[in-house]
Amino acid sequence: MNLLEKKRALKTISMLAFITFFIAMMIRAIVGAYTLTPTSTAEDLQGLPIWEIPLVYMWDYAQHGWICLGFAFVVSGLFAEFIPKPFMLKYMSSRKPIAYVIAMLIAPLFCVCSCTMVPLFSGLIYAGGGIGPALTFLLAAPANNLLADIVTIQVLGWQIALADIIAAGVSAVIIGFIVSKTPWGKRFEQKFQKNQAQTTAIELIEEPLDMRLWSALKFGGYLAKRIIPAFALGLVVVSYVQAFFPAELVKAYLTRSTGVIYSAMLAGPLYTPTLIEVALGKALVNLGMAPAATIAWLMGQPYDIPNMLSTSRIVGWKIVITYGLLAFLAAIFSGLLYGVLTGGF
Amino acid sequence: MNVKVEVIGVSPPCQRCKTTEENAKKAAEKLAAEGIKVEISKLNVASQETISKYGVISSPAIAINGIVKIMGKVPDASVIERLIRQSITS
Repeated sequence: MNLLEKKRALKTISMLAFITFFIAMMIRAIVGAYTLTPTSTAEDLQGLPIWEIPLVYMWDYAQHGWICLGFAFVVSGLFAEFIPKPFMLKYMSSRKPIAYVIAMLIAPLFCVCSCTMVPLFSGLIYAGGGIGPALTFLLAAPANNLLADIVTIQVLGWQIALADIIAAGVSAVIIGFIVSKTPWGKRFEQKFQKNQAQTTAIELIEEPLDMRLWSALKFGGYLAKRIIPAFALGLVVVSYVQAFFPAELVKAYLTRSTGVIYSAMLAGPLYTPTLIEVALGKALVNLGMAPAATIAWLMGQPYDIPNMLSTSRIVGWKIVITYGLLAFLAAIFSGLLYGVLTGGF
Repeated sequence: MNVKVEVIGVSPPCQRCKTTEENAKKAAEKLAAEGIKVEISKLNVASQETISKYGVISSPAIAINGIVKIMGKVPDASVIERLIRQSITS
């Protein structure tokens, strides 16, 4: 082994150690049932001076949350780097049923950044991939992206997270399928039928492991840099909600079956990045929001207004309103179903 | 020697696409000193023109002489430089 090879081997080992560290810490936290979420209650926060509330809450979060966030960023980077993209894109832009499965299961794993999502969506459509799988992808990607899933599991517990993941995935497929059968969906599809994608012009280079690990970590770091400031700002808001929002209001309106409908109505227009939505959901849960309403709350992501506006430029209003309405109904239905199955109203 | 490098990103550009373009420019400058002419152009990943040429790809991506070599990540200037050299020798 010469010096250069030794240096690279050392680099690889230290990167693997870094990755293993976060995975091990996460497993330890799960096995030890160690809480990774803030433990402050309204009583703890209310006694503090007004400027101190967000600081205490954020410190509380940082103490527990760094493992979870670190793990989420590391794993997101790894997935983005190691999932074979050309293979996936090829199947997703076909019109076979497998396209739905790929769009639901695999696409969210690597689309952690919104700047890849909308372009991919329009790409799938222009390539003649069919509106159904493309919509499934558009709805499932933000709702079920890896980063959001990890944080949801840790913040709201695995029962709620699992129910949300399944409900969001299944409804994304159903909505995509229904829209592709509407007259306006079919008309839209026909416009792009001729554009069959050609993939002969792609010959990705193979890079050695150390370089791939490095770009995975770099991407994780990039995500952290983009997301953490917004997340911190979200925590400031959440800390005030936790401290001052009247629990009676939450208990009166966000419980029972009417609570499911109210929270589905609230979650859409109230545009919040996924991670903040989860933190805000936790604050509301602490204040007494029912589990069924929480599911509806979490499923509000796909029909937020900015998201629908940017898609409408590509597919037109009719399709956007159809899927928005369906997603709203799916949120209510999933919330109610969860309530009925678990008694969590 | 003339090499065509296409930086494929979203429009308006996101931070990652900008960095990719900057790195491509850095590589081009270095190679220009050796007499290798690199022509950099930008493509919108979501345009019909790009799709009909390359199919669906994830951004940012880099194509050299009409072949996509990198997609979905930001390559270092040195990686782009190596790719351009390879395209000349092969």
